[in-house]
Parts: sequence; C-alpha cells; structure tokens
Amino acid sequence: MKILLMGHPNVGKSVFFNRLTGANVTESNYPGTTVDYTKGWMKIEGEDVEIVDVPGTFSLDPKDKAEEVAVAMLHESRDAKVIAVIDASKIERGLYLAMEIIEEGYPIVIALNMRDVAEDKNIVIDADRLERILGIPVVSTVAIAGEGIKELVSRLKEAKPVNVDDIIANAANTSDTESAADAGGAA
Amino acid sequence: MKKKLSEMDYAEQGTVTGIEKDLQKRVAGMGIRVGKKLRMVTRQPIKGPVDVVVEGAETSLGLDMAGKIVVEVTK
Amino acid sequence: MKLSTGERWDLIDKISKETVTFGAYKHTLKDAIGELTVKPMTGIPVAIAIMYGFWSVFGSFAGFFTDGFFVRLFDAYWLPWLQEVFPGQGGWIYAIMVDAGGIESGEFVLSSNCLESFGVLTSGLFVAIGVVLPAIIIFYLMLALLEDIGYMPRLAVLLDTVLHRVGLHGYAIVPTILSLGCNVPGVTATRILETKKQRFIMMTLLAIFIPCGAQIGIMQDVVPDLMGWILLYLIIGYFVFGYILNKIVPGKAPEFLIDVPPYRRPLLSNIGKKVGGRVKGFFVVAIPFVLLGCAIVGVLYQLGVIRFLGDALAPVFVGWFGVPKETAGPLIAAFLRKDLAVAQLSAITMTPYQMITAVVLVSIYFPCVATFAMMLKEGWKELLGALAVLSVVVFTYGGLIHLIGILLGVA
Repeated sequence: MKILLMGHPNVGKSVFFNRLTGANVTESNYPGTTVDYTKGWMKIEGEDVEIVDVPGTFSLDPKDKAEEVAVAMLHESRDAKVIAVIDASKIERGLYLAMEIIEEGYPIVIALNMRDVAEDKNIVIDADRLERILGIPVVSTVAIAGEGIKELVSRLKEAKPVNVDDIIANAANTSDTESAADAGGAA
Repeated sequence: MKKKLSEMDYAEQGTVTGIEKDLQKRVAGMGIRVGKKLRMVTRQPIKGPVDVVVEGAETSLGLDMAGKIVVEVTK
Repeated sequence: MKLSTGERWDLIDKISKETVTFGAYKHTLKDAIGELTVKPMTGIPVAIAIMYGFWSVFGSFAGFFTDGFFVRLFDAYWLPWLQEVFPGQGGWIYAIMVDAGGIESGEFVLSSNCLESFGVLTSGLFVAIGVVLPAIIIFYLMLALLEDIGYMPRLAVLLDTVLHRVGLHGYAIVPTILSLGCNVPGVTATRILETKKQRFIMMTLLAIFIPCGAQIGIMQDVVPDLMGWILLYLIIGYFVFGYILNKIVPGKAPEFLIDVPPYRRPLLSNIGKKVGGRVKGFFVVAIPFVLLGCAIVGVLYQLGVIRFLGDALAPVFVGWFGVPKETAGPLIAAFLRKDLAVAQLSAITMTPYQMITAVVLVSIYFPCVATFAMMLKEGWKELLGALAVLSVVVFTYGGLIHLIGILLGVA
C-alpha cells in the first residue's frame, strides 16, 4: 500500500512524515521547505506501507516546479491513498485541494492539523460534522506535538473514494436538519 | 467606499467585492475571495508588496496583483 | 464527477458555514510582533539587526574554534607529526599527501602550517574539519532558528522590492540564504520560483555570486579584514548582473504571493535533528570532494600542468585582472577547490586590493563539482546558459574590479 501526504505548503506534512516513518526530513516554518518528494516506510497492522512526503501544492493546477512534482506524484500513484493535511486555521483553502483530490476518485482521510493555532485564533471546527458531510475520516491533530497521529493511522483503513454528489447532498441535508431542529426548538 | 487593495491605507478594513478574472484562482488559494473580510496590514515602500490579513491568516502579494482586487472599505 | 472552480468554492462555503465558527479575532502578542517585523519602519531595522547579529555570531564562533583550537591542533601537533612519520619526504606521494614544501627554492623545506603544506592529509583535512566544520555548524544552527521561528517569509516580504528589480521576487531569499550554507540545496530550492526565467536567473546568480559556507569559513579565517569588501563586491555583482539578466532573458517574472505564517516557538529537538542532518549531508558531499580535489590539484602541480597553464595565462591575470603572476596557480586550482585556492592565495604576497580581486575571482569562478552536478539535474540547457553567463561575468566583472581599483588608486 502507498500513502501520499498532500496539502498546502507549510501545513506540517513533513512533520507527519517524520512522525510516521521515524525519518528526519527537514521541517521549517515557511512555505516550500519540501521541493522534492521523499519516500519512507512504516508498518500498519503488520503490513508494510510506503509513505510519500509530497511537496506542498495549492491546487492540482500547478504554478511552480515544486507543485508540478506534487501533481505528477499524485497522478502516477493511481492506487494510492491520500492523507490530506489541512491547516485548521485556514480550513477553507485546505478543503479546496481536498475536494479536488476527492473528485479525482482517490480514497482520502483528512488531518485537520495545527488545531492549536486555530484555537489561538478562536476558530472552532466541528470535526464530527465535517466527517459526516464528507463521508471520510476527519481527525484533529497537532502533529508537532504528536497529538492525533495514532488515531489518524488507525482510521486510514476507512479511507474510501466518495461521490461528490453525496457530499453536495449531505451539505444540503445537514442544513435542513439543522434548521428543522432550530424550528423545533423555537416551537 | 470602494478602493483598490493597492490604494488602501494602513489598518483599513473591508470586504472584497471584485477580483480580476485571471487572478481569482491564484489568490483564492491564499484565502482571498469575493465576500471575504480583509485587513490591510502594511505596504512596502517603492512599489513593494501589500500585506493583508484574511480570517486571521496573513498573506503578502505584489502591488500589481493588489491593484486587481477591489475592496469595499468599511473602516 | 468534477466541479468547476466556482461550484467547488460554493460547496466549500456551504460546508464551512455548517462546521466552522470564526470567533472574535483577538490580537495576540505574537501577531503584534509579527506585524512589527513586517512593517517597513520597524521591520527593516530589525532585519538589519538580525543579519548583523547572524554575521557577528558566525564570525566569532567560527573564529573561536578555528583559531583557538584547530589551528593549534593541526599546526603544532598534526602537521609536524605527519611530516616526521610519513615516509618518502621530498617524493611526489609525500608532496601530495603531506607537504609539497618549498620545492621551488631548489632545496626541500618543510612548510610551517597547514595552509601552506597543501597535502591531502594536512591542508585537506584542516580545511574540512578545522575551518569548514565550525563554520557550517554555526551557520546551520542559526539558519534553523530563523526558519523554525518563521522569520524567513517576513524577510522575503521586506526584500521583495529589491529582488523584483532583478527579475526575481522576495521568495528568492530562500534559495539565496540556503546557498550560503551549500549551493547544492540552494539549487534545488529554486523550484519554489514560478517560471523558467526566474529559476534560470536564480540558479546563475547562486552559482556565481553566492559563496558557500566552506568558502566563507576559509575567507573569514585567512583574510578577515578584507571580508567586507569581498562581500560587497559579490552583493553588487548579484544585483548588477541580476538586473542585466532580467533584461535579456526572455520569459515572465511573476509577482510575489506568499503566505506569512504566524511565529512559532522552535522545537529544540527539531533544530538539533535538522542541524545534525544538514551538517552530516554537507560532510558526506564535501569531505570526499575536498580531499579528492586536494589530491588532484597536488597531482597537477607535480606534473607541472598548473605551472604551465599559469605561465600561459599569466598575461591575462596580470594585465586584465591586475593580480600578481603567482596567483595564476591558485586561480586555476580554484576550478577544483575554491576553499583551498583561497588558502593558497593567502600565502602569496600582494596588496590588499589584489587580494580582494583574487578572492572575488575565486568566488565567482566555476561552481563546485557538486553544484555543477545538481544544476545538470535541473536541465542541461540551463546549465550551459549559466556557464556562458559565468564566463562573461568572470571576465567583465574581474576587469571592472581592476578598473575600479585603478580609479581609486589602490590597484
């Protein structure tokens, strides 16, 4: 099995990679630290799994050479699972890339990383609800402190391709049930 | 009052009302989209880049790009 | 099924509305510091202070270990011991491995220090361990701090204005600073630039004008008083030739657009791992090159190749660049090892201005073999282009520096 770590630049993909594989890839606090991919191995439930630290990319429509490397890596690995690493304090743009990967049919799990930074900024995310809408595992993490990594690994097997129509339907549904519940409360 | 982002003053805030088409995709990746609230932090001298904060995230963009973004300044 | 960009954002807005609450944004101390270091009125003085601090710590740390410890260790113990025990004094193996000595004076005289002996096991090891190691460790340690705190993007914002004039943009500071450690990762880091034009300009400027940690270390050791002038000429060259390249290289130079991440407290363990990894990486690459380069230069000297080339090219060196005839050897050897060439130059008697010219020439010469290989990996057309620019630059800039010296009355 092969797993790609993908996400925007500077969201902590290399930190995940080091945590997962025990490797020592350079981590820094600036976008574009990783400009080439790095491969490593880990064992999940007895199975050898290849992990790839992919350079950060904003979308699947590359704007520089590091992003070209990222998109080529994804397209070469048709049978791979993807861990989409999202900066929780910048969730919308992270979801944009995650949606693009979902639309291409890859099985995916989402790591909502840097939960601490989001909390600093008073941003609260309902991860369970996000999980229900997207239909894939969503795990809150603070990778640099090692929080949430185990849960992320244990839920990798739940990664599956989802249909975009289902997400659209779910997004509409939750708002319906929500407003219905509100109405009920008011009555 | 509508202003180009490149013409905003220090610490002015507002809501993005328009972005030229060729730029939309690129700045969307930075969280700058129509309808988003934005605060201008600073501008570098001699046609330097403009620094803005959108939803708590800081982005720096070149002056020409900033000139293609229109903001309804609120304060 | 695939969505259009607009549809995708609409869906995300809907999902975000359901799952995310943006609380009142409170201005923290971290934000305040962040803004102060990016506003020009406060940010530029802070940037200058940080760069100055970086340089002072670098100089004193490297000086402390090199002069205070390694020079004594190598010159007082290692060199005399090797001169004593290594067999075949005066022979060519001895000359290459230990000490070429004063062969030119007819009678064989042993060298008194490791910068003049020019053997693989003496000068080679001394330069690698005594000079380069301390310089590289302190450089990477301070770089790791700046990186992990999150200062680099802010420096990029402050420098965008000037770098935009040479066809690059603020983010070019990342490959530039990385190259000050070693040009190899610097070349790889050019990938964060958007267009071919920008990557070409960046790669060429790196290869020519950015001295690596090994070179800076040795320059700091042998010609500390002239460092300011040497660096000034390199920085001026970077911008002047960057400006020219921007005018003549076809292609686009898009503007700057980057995320400025919040400051973060650096993790000691990460800094330790990073510095350790980079120093190790540098040494795996550098040590064999230093020793091998030293050996090849030694062999070429023994065969008389360098003296032959030196004699042939001496008119160019003396007439055009204004440096003494004796520098021809080191300047040719610089094709293989810049650090050793600088060490050799320091042993030749010449005026300070000639020394500045000669060291600048060594710096802007042919990139080191590892960088050369890395550039080839990024594309042979780019490499050939860069080499063409390099030849022109060495010739014109070297002449120009000579001319400036003549005009100033110091050459």
